[in-house]
Amino acid sequence: MVVELTRHIATLSQFPPADAQKVSLAIDEAVTNVIKHSYGNQPDQEVRIEYFIAAAGLRICVRYRGSPPDISGEEPDIDRMIKTKRKGGLGVKLMRTIMDSVLYTTAGGEHCCEMIKWRTSN
Amino acid sequence: MKSFQIRSKMVNGVAVLYLKGHLDAHQVARFEKELVRMIRESNFNILINGQELNYITSAGMGIIMGYIDEVREKGGDIKLCSLNERVHETFDLVGFTEIYDFVADEQAAIEKFNRVPPTA
Repeated sequence: MVVELTRHIATLSQFPPADAQKVSLAIDEAVTNVIKHSYGNQPDQEVRIEYFIAAAGLRICVRYRGSPPDISGEEPDIDRMIKTKRKGGLGVKLMRTIMDSVLYTTAGGEHCCEMIKWRTSN
Repeated sequence: MKSFQIRSKMVNGVAVLYLKGHLDAHQVARFEKELVRMIRESNFNILINGQELNYITSAGMGIIMGYIDEVREKGGDIKLCSLNERVHETFDLVGFTEIYDFVADEQAAIEKFNRVPPTA
């Protein structure tokens, strides 16, 4: 549902269909990470998503509790991931490639993954 | 939940996995199970035919990443073919198109697997 909703909102924000599709994929990855890593795949936890539409672009905040995000600032290295037979970590790479900004913060026990896509970016 | 289907068959010595629909974190276990079955049966020439694949997330791509080294160490490869533009672009976003062999269609991919290298 969140994928379709995000694609719809990005389209309403006048992103081209291909970009709207990519933004929705980035949100899919962000929410999947939260459910898998912060909530340990528990199905009854809350994830709140806020959309801020502006002339310059779209800002999306994924808010959640649970375990803090384990996200380093390093760009994941695909060759190293293959050698170590890792199956995870690609989601963050996708998010950072698609969005212009991906920022994780924590305040008052609540975590936030804030993502921004400017309208003029590729 | 969007649907995902997977089937497989041997074509000229190549294990072909046909993916259909929406491959995300909810569906990825079935894909991994089938891929592992192929490898455990000593099929190291593996082709993923994504002609009917509409959507893929990092979960699906991560499975391919997790087994490619093992397959290549055994002298095989995991190639991909027939992807639509959107799915191909998703692979491109994480740099997979520089690491993996993407082929236009199944026949060309099978021929590539079975091409005998020239002898000196």
